[in-house]
Amino acid sequence: MKLDIEQTKPWQQWELHHAVTPKSLIILFILFIAFSFSAHNTELDKAAVETSKAVLSIVGIGDSQVLDGALRFTSKAFPMQISERTAISRLDDFDRNALPLFSYLEMGEEREYDALTEIWTIEKSEYLVEPLGYLWKVTVKMWETIEMGFWGTVICIMISLPLSVLASRNYTPHRFVYSFVRGWLSLHRAMPELIVALILVLMYGFGPIAGVLALAIHTSGVLGKFFADEIENAPPGPQLALKSSGASAFKVLRYAVFPHVYPAWIAYVQYIFERNIRTATILGIVGAGGIGMELKGRWDVFDYSHVATILLGIFITVVLLEYFSQKLRKHAL
Amino acid sequence: MLKFESVSRVYDDGTKAIDNVSLHIRSGEICVLLGPSGAGKSTLMNMANGVVEPSSGVVKLGDLILNKKNRTTIQRRIGMIHQQLHLVPRLSVLHNVLAGLLPDVELWRSIIKSFSVEEQRRACELLDEVGMEEKHLFRRASDLSGGQQQRVAIARAFISNPEVVLADEPVASLDPAMSRSVLDSLKTAAKHHGATVICTLHQLDYALEFADRIIALRKGEIFFDGHPDDLDSETQNKLYQLEQSQNTTIEQVAA
Repeated sequence: MKLDIEQTKPWQQWELHHAVTPKSLIILFILFIAFSFSAHNTELDKAAVETSKAVLSIVGIGDSQVLDGALRFTSKAFPMQISERTAISRLDDFDRNALPLFSYLEMGEEREYDALTEIWTIEKSEYLVEPLGYLWKVTVKMWETIEMGFWGTVICIMISLPLSVLASRNYTPHRFVYSFVRGWLSLHRAMPELIVALILVLMYGFGPIAGVLALAIHTSGVLGKFFADEIENAPPGPQLALKSSGASAFKVLRYAVFPHVYPAWIAYVQYIFERNIRTATILGIVGAGGIGMELKGRWDVFDYSHVATILLGIFITVVLLEYFSQKLRKHAL
Repeated sequence: MLKFESVSRVYDDGTKAIDNVSLHIRSGEICVLLGPSGAGKSTLMNMANGVVEPSSGVVKLGDLILNKKNRTTIQRRIGMIHQQLHLVPRLSVLHNVLAGLLPDVELWRSIIKSFSVEEQRRACELLDEVGMEEKHLFRRASDLSGGQQQRVAIARAFISNPEVVLADEPVASLDPAMSRSVLDSLKTAAKHHGATVICTLHQLDYALEFADRIIALRKGEIFFDGHPDDLDSETQNKLYQLEQSQNTTIEQVAA
């Protein structure tokens, strides 16, 4: 079939596609220059040099600052701190006849430094040793961290669920409400947890409250947007069918939209929950509760063997979390 | 029962979907709207239940004029079966049928999907009537075949005891044997509940078997209106031609 369109050129002379043109080469060159500057700004060149030095140093050629740092940590990190050792003079309710389970007493020296006289005093003292004491402490802190992540997620859902309905184009009561709520959600998203947590610590004091609220505020911005986008993308047919039978918007949302978006929502919530627990582990660094507080405290006094135990705790938690959420996902969908 | 009084509908791009149509559909009738695609069948349907507003003219159900105020009242008295099924895919068959009751269900009950025993029994009765079995009750609608889905859609349309049931191409996506049995189910249900049915089709054969009254549309105007027996051979031929021309255009597009 030939259409009657007047061709200005015979097809042999039509302009074809060229993979490499001078223009594309110039663009590539400019990009290369720009990226080089940027990489220098972020000291990527230095990173390459230092890493190479470290590798050479392992084989025995020259010294490396990077390797020194790594060694300084690892040499003190192992063996990991499992037990807890406390001078009995520091225990308030110590009862010699009722020691905690598995624990025993031990004689040891307590060194104290007096900064004024610059004299070390060494005192003999009795210590209470709990063989799994520190591990237990880390476990408890880790559990607190998981709880923070959990409640952060719950509050996050409570905030984002109603907001997402207002922020979806097809169910918002008014266009103005839509833009306002969308803006509000972006504001939530734009505030990093650590910074929100810093402010909340000022308001609520040290402890998990600040952490939970910081998680909820930041992630509700993310979850609200995800929820709203899902609602907007739900197939319109079933919604129209229920609407044309006279059902109210809320009921249409419940029966035609929710069953459709529910699996995706579960996946989002799961992602947010995992992410919240991972984030909760570092929120303690600014004093917002959880294992991060312990981590920061130990790090600052160079107790790297304690740090190693904490890191192991975080690692195991994250792996277990991944494993269980994978199982749950298979179950739910 | 359902009256269209010199109704027209012009779309934004200037196409006249319906041009000055007056119709009076009597109670208990099974009407088939015939016509090629673009003849205005769906527009007429959507005007009857208030999804599309007429540009001029009035639609009446009984004595009620269809306007913004009465729209939900009228929609509750009308059951609707749609062209692309429009069940909720991830909802169970039972709840898809019960969704037809939503306008009359209290809000809190609708949230937790709590329906009374009577309501559920009625849904079962309807499902049985259209030929569904107990084992289908808690399957997801998306797990059913096209014909089964259309049966569920029929049950949903009838559950609110509608006076009028509008069926927009109920058999468009089904094979001939399935189409006949779905149309039979629709007819039995309608006779049993004393409902008026308006159904769009584009196959003349089905219309001749199924309808009490055939209304043929062409380019937004009524071209034939009457009992199937009144169709003289000349009009029948014209209708066949319309059907043929439509098929050929589809084939051309496919080729």
